[in-house]
Amino acid sequence: MKKVIIKPLREFWVPVEAERISPDIFAPLSIEEIRRLEVWEGNRKVTLSDLFMISGDDEPAPPGDNEIVLSGDFSRVKRIGEKMTSGTIVIKGDVGMHAGNGMSGGEILIDGNAGDWLGREMQGGKITVSGDAGEYVGAGYRGESCGMRGGEILVEGSAGDYLGEHLCGGTITVGGDAGDFPGIGNRGGAIVIGGNAHLPGAEMASGTITVRGRARVLPSFQRLETVEIDGIRFDKFLGDLVDDGKGELFAASVEDGGR
Amino acid sequence: MIIEDVLCPFCGCLCDDIKVEVEEGKVVGVKRACRLGSSKIRGHERIRAPMVRRDGELFETTYDEAYDRAARILKGAKRPLLYGWCSTVCETAKKGILLAEEVGGVIDSTATVCHGPSIIGIEEKGLSGSTLGQVKNRADLIIFWGANPAEAHPRHTMRYSSNSTGMFTPEGRRGRKVIVVDVRKTRTAKNADKFILIRPGTDYEVISALRMIVKGKGDLIPETVAGVNKADLEEAAGMMKAAKFGSILFGLGMTHSRGRYKNVDNALSLVADLNGFTKFVVMAMRGHYNVAGFGQVCAWETGYPMAVDLSRGAPYFNPGETAACDLLGRREADAMMVVAADPASNFPRETVEAMAEIPVIQVDPFPNPTTFLADVVIPTAVCGIEAEGTAYRMDGLSLRMKKVIDSGLPTDEEVVENILDRVRRLADDN
Amino acid sequence: MIIEGGIVYDPINGVLGEEMDVSIEDGRVVEESRDGEKIDARGMLVLPGGVDAHAHIAGAKVNTGRIMRPEDGRRGTEARTKLLRPSTGYTVPNCYAIGYRYARLGYTCAFEAATPILEARHTHEELEEIPIVDKGALTLFGNNWEVLECVRDGDLEKLAAFVAWGLRASRGYGVKVVNPGGGEAWGFGGNVKGIDDPVPNFGVTAREIIRYLMRANEALRLPHSVHLHTNNLGKPGNYETTLATLRAVEDIASSRDRQVLHVTHMQFSAYGGTGWRDFESKAPEISDYFNKHDQFTMDMGQLIFGSATTMTADAPLEYGNARLLKAKWSNHDIELEESSGVVPLVYGRKNPINAIQWAIGLELALLTEDPWQMIMTTDHPNGGPFVNYPEVVALLMSRSKREKELATLHDLASKRSSLPSIEREMDWNEVAIVTRAGPARILGLAEKGHLGVGADGDVSIYDVNPEKVDPSKEHEEVKAALAGAKYTIKGGEVVVRDGEVVAVPQGRTYWVDASVPEDAEARVKADLVEKFAKYYSIQMSNYMVQDAYVTRPRVIRAGVI
Repeated sequence: MKKVIIKPLREFWVPVEAERISPDIFAPLSIEEIRRLEVWEGNRKVTLSDLFMISGDDEPAPPGDNEIVLSGDFSRVKRIGEKMTSGTIVIKGDVGMHAGNGMSGGEILIDGNAGDWLGREMQGGKITVSGDAGEYVGAGYRGESCGMRGGEILVEGSAGDYLGEHLCGGTITVGGDAGDFPGIGNRGGAIVIGGNAHLPGAEMASGTITVRGRARVLPSFQRLETVEIDGIRFDKFLGDLVDDGKGELFAASVEDGGR
Repeated sequence: MIIEDVLCPFCGCLCDDIKVEVEEGKVVGVKRACRLGSSKIRGHERIRAPMVRRDGELFETTYDEAYDRAARILKGAKRPLLYGWCSTVCETAKKGILLAEEVGGVIDSTATVCHGPSIIGIEEKGLSGSTLGQVKNRADLIIFWGANPAEAHPRHTMRYSSNSTGMFTPEGRRGRKVIVVDVRKTRTAKNADKFILIRPGTDYEVISALRMIVKGKGDLIPETVAGVNKADLEEAAGMMKAAKFGSILFGLGMTHSRGRYKNVDNALSLVADLNGFTKFVVMAMRGHYNVAGFGQVCAWETGYPMAVDLSRGAPYFNPGETAACDLLGRREADAMMVVAADPASNFPRETVEAMAEIPVIQVDPFPNPTTFLADVVIPTAVCGIEAEGTAYRMDGLSLRMKKVIDSGLPTDEEVVENILDRVRRLADDN
Repeated sequence: MIIEGGIVYDPINGVLGEEMDVSIEDGRVVEESRDGEKIDARGMLVLPGGVDAHAHIAGAKVNTGRIMRPEDGRRGTEARTKLLRPSTGYTVPNCYAIGYRYARLGYTCAFEAATPILEARHTHEELEEIPIVDKGALTLFGNNWEVLECVRDGDLEKLAAFVAWGLRASRGYGVKVVNPGGGEAWGFGGNVKGIDDPVPNFGVTAREIIRYLMRANEALRLPHSVHLHTNNLGKPGNYETTLATLRAVEDIASSRDRQVLHVTHMQFSAYGGTGWRDFESKAPEISDYFNKHDQFTMDMGQLIFGSATTMTADAPLEYGNARLLKAKWSNHDIELEESSGVVPLVYGRKNPINAIQWAIGLELALLTEDPWQMIMTTDHPNGGPFVNYPEVVALLMSRSKREKELATLHDLASKRSSLPSIEREMDWNEVAIVTRAGPARILGLAEKGHLGVGADGDVSIYDVNPEKVDPSKEHEEVKAALAGAKYTIKGGEVVVRDGEVVAVPQGRTYWVDASVPEDAEARVKADLVEKFAKYYSIQMSNYMVQDAYVTRPRVIRAGVI
């Protein structure tokens, strides 16, 4: 197992774009070559070693047999693990936007909080967050009809608005609350929310959303029956009927005033 | 001398029938304009001279020094934000985008605090719209949703919408129905045939319920939706389907309440659904006279209508990440240029605090609260009065603004170009 | 400049693959050049600069496509360089990308296909930003109230005067007619069903609108003919409407040495079937008709698999598309003048309809015997983006490529079209006609599409030797060579070298200024004064495109006096 450890040399205010921090890119490189990789701090193109302290194994390894450990505050470092296909990234601290963008394999373990667009357009692999995640977890790019298509995202804390927007596959599990419009425009996949959610599943065509806490449910969802899952009773809804959707929404408790 | 058919540089109505009386190089009379437009055309307090801040105080200086300071600030920044561009002409925006490319900046417009969410909604669904004349000539149903033209766009109803007359609407207001949906009974609502009072932040649910009724699935929705009686919604949906030409004209009440761009997204879908039954269009009631123009220019130059990050030389667009408020809210911008806008008045408090911590360049004819935060202040001619150029009305129609008097001041476009020249010279020196 | 030793195809001047020099001076082709610049073109294909007679490259529709499609914007992104502005987009590229990509293909001229007069200012703002190529815009007339009223009143003289005024007001080049009458009906959500269906509130028919506009066009002796997008476009069975339209105008004569009517993107108008289930090609019927009627021309509107953004003044069609495909839908109706729509979609190889559509475009091009009657387009970006022209040329030149492609498509492409049986393979002369000489002649651009003395110094040079490469077999080589010109020369300046843009001059904008009798013009003005007072939402004095928006005009004179 090739292991590379990266620590920030200083605090960042201007965001850093570091899509080259990826097991696929690191695998064949020596530490010196990794240090010379290009990253951007705002509009300045610099090398990884200008901003980070890098240490670890010098020998090349297959991408799958490759671990990158990020230690420190990476909350302003974006696009970590973008398009990765295998290997592991462990982040001991917070991570910035777009972690795991379009990843198709491997694993990202975040021991901290994640920024917005975590796992955007993800196709496979797994992302775990011990803390909270920002908005647009597993969502798509502006204007696209599909967000996440496969893989798994687990957020132990809460998530922001637009969780799993345009989800087309894969699963997202959130321990705490989700914000507004989780699963909006879904065309597949599964979302499980441990806490509360506001207007889940708007315009969903298919897929399932389970809200273990309280949900405000759209008037365009039809209540079908009460079901019991793992000892909890859920109201089961069909929706979103504005577009003849066939999605399934399970809510343990339904907020008054919505429908 | 009376100059006819002058364009008004105030709101998105971009009225083009104003008469301006000029004597000895001064505007002495304005006819046909509304109170808001007239006040701007007549003119008010101006920035007297270029200024730079030294030891916390603004001192008057030369244009050359101001350009130089501005260029050095922008060139030295790692994440400069170039913001505003909506109370100026398109020619300024073109130069601004080039400047943003040159300094590797992020360029964004005042749409970020008005109809930016509408544009994101359009990215999801597209928009079924028309020119305003189409509403004037054909519309027999007008729905103002979260919009109050009586206060914000005073001539809109008379020129283009509820009270206008046209080929198929000879009776004007009498031949039309007007529905207002809002969170309070506005002046516009008082003149409506039907007013639907909704709770703040429930637009999305109400629109979904309307879509259900329009599609004949009203029996599935509950008796009240977010506090609105189903019977009221059924009546409104009935009016929509019975119209020969309906239009939804929406304002910030829809885009800046909870749900934001998703509200617009759903409204666009409602209009698409309605076109299965009759003719329906939808339009955003844009605020600044050329906020639409910046979006057009930015789209044809960069591919995107706002919030474009050019820091890596290739346009990158992602509102929520690259909009002006996003950068300031996260305190990542390290310099800011404000052209023809007043973020200090219109932005959330924490973003204004972020502005106070970084160098700010202001280009504007008028002093405003942003001036108090600015380190470089560059006064310019007022577009549409003292400088000509292109503006896009709220419906996307472009018109040429006139110059009616000569101020002797540089135009916004010239100022941006001068700064651009100096930035390029700094680049050559390095 | 002397381009030395290339193998030149210049159909207008009867040059068929001769090894010869081409000299350019002061931006024009000359007998002999005095300056010293030499371009070594030995063993290479030399053609006049490409001319695109029909593409949607500027104006409100195109920008609507960009604004509603950030997901398209991010495709094809290229950072700025010291010379170039950034590029974005695939189906709806930004202005800079449009100019750079045309130039890389060896194209030096492109015409925007549809601009309403009221929004022509916007069109010109974008045309001004498109670098390198010369350009122009066709102006929409087919649903304009003044036109409908002149037709209703049978007032040809006033109609011609209005056409002249509309071209001047829009700084337009020619008369575009889209779904005549249908656009007005769409103002209240309707459409017309054929050429004899009356337009609501106006009582005229598409047949009358087309005939009158063609007669006005010829009365004005405009350089281009009427440019028609047929009624019922995009619908199964519409070939009957197309043929009925052509039969309805057979008696009208051209006033100049060109076609009397150009029917655009014919692929979308050559459909059989009573619905989508029995949808089939009627390209043989259309081509057969064209083979017997040389007064008409058409362009392919070839479909390209993958992403497209449909955009047209045919707004009812777009609403139908959007509902059928559950796609994003933008619509934009223009007071007193037009309607329009924009819908993004993806053409799939395994989609039976798309596969048949693909075959139809090629059938039309190959079954129409005279290449001067049938020019190449993809109706960018409706059939697909123009960057795919090399693919289309390769298909026209190689039966084996067509067979290879057909094998990857839904089998109905072979069963519901005649494409598998077509043996014809275009040669380089025919390719030069359908991509250069033909479009230039059809548009009436005397200085484009050829390399005779006095022609514009627009030349494309491709690294493919017509004497050695067999396009039938080596179609991939052909496609690669055409995708990145070895040199593109615009007005005597090298703008592309080895497929890269090396200079960014600004092109000119063609528009037509047609004169009409003063009394006819006065009668039009009187009508317009009333229309602006009652119906338009702007003042008449603010309507016409100002000179500031066409900074490098090339004005072509026409008219009746």
